Amino acid sequence: MEAKKTNKKREPGFLRMETNLFDRIFIGVVIFVAIHLLWMRFLESSISLTVASIISLVLIFVIAKWG
Amino acid sequence: MKSSKTAWGLLAPTLIILGLVGLLPFIYVLYVGFHDWMIFAKVSGLVWAGVDNYRELVFDEDFLAALGRGLRFTIWTVSIQMVLGLLLAHLLMKKFKGRGFFRAIHALPLTVAPLVVGATWRLLTIPGLGPLPFYLNKIGIDYNIGWSAQQAFFTTVLMHIWHWTPFVTLTFLAGLSALPKEPFEGAMVDGANQWQIFRYIFLPMLKPVILIALFLRIMDALRIVDEVWMLTGGGPGTATRYVGIHIWRVVFPMTNYGYGSAMSVLLLYFIIVVCWLLLTVITQAKREAGT
Repeated sequence: MEAKKTNKKREPGFLRMETNLFDRIFIGVVIFVAIHLLWMRFLESSISLTVASIISLVLIFVIAKWG
Repeated sequence: MKSSKTAWGLLAPTLIILGLVGLLPFIYVLYVGFHDWMIFAKVSGLVWAGVDNYRELVFDEDFLAALGRGLRFTIWTVSIQMVLGLLLAHLLMKKFKGRGFFRAIHALPLTVAPLVVGATWRLLTIPGLGPLPFYLNKIGIDYNIGWSAQQAFFTTVLMHIWHWTPFVTLTFLAGLSALPKEPFEGAMVDGANQWQIFRYIFLPMLKPVILIALFLRIMDALRIVDEVWMLTGGGPGTATRYVGIHIWRVVFPMTNYGYGSAMSVLLLYFIIVVCWLLLTVITQAKREAGT
């Protein structure tokens, strides 16, 4: 019952789009990959990739919760 | 409860086939992408490489150039195919003598295998043999796709348009046939001109079909290999080495399966992002127009 509730469409969050939980996780994963690729290209020589992973995971959570 | 079980039972064969031919190979490619795997290397099996393949990819100028080239090819082919397809579908909806014949004949390129299309266009464009260089030379154009990068690029664009526009036309024809007549008649009674009918009734009603055609064509154009391989082999130089051909060269002649898989995954990611962004922009534009 709870799962059904969370997957329902709700009022748009900061993404300003009507989304369900799957949409927001999808957006989070797309951003996760993009951050890692860009990090490897431009920042990895000075900052470890682990930082990118932590930032990306936090972002996925934030998007899934308030996006 | 019973109906749910029956529904899952009926869905099961489709889900099993989809899992076997779609999901499993995808997971395997994803898995191989995180490994080094060259069958003629000292260690011929899979060796865990973490994100090394992807790390190498983001600095691989050849791959990035091939991706850019593929994107340029996609923008040219898909935009022309969509406009031409829409025009042809509109024309083929009108009643005229021989409409059935034209509807059948315009779809003929679709029945030809891509390799055969490439080979046929190769014959058409060989200097000294093909009719295309012969007639273009007559009007003063030195046409040779063996050395002119631009000519080779636009010949592949033309070939792809020739081959796949009928698909777009047929998709639009199906969509147009399903449209109700009442809104159009109502608009005409209200005094709307042809452009207003097209912009405010025709396009919004056909939007789902346009989106499907657009996404299918984008995906297909971005991963093109066979036709272009037969026509130019990716040349001259790297002028027509689109990303699919680039991956093929890494995977088969160089037998670098791990790196090739990583490239395939990245291409898939790129296609998903392009389609998703496009869908978001179109949906957002519609919502803003509605408010």
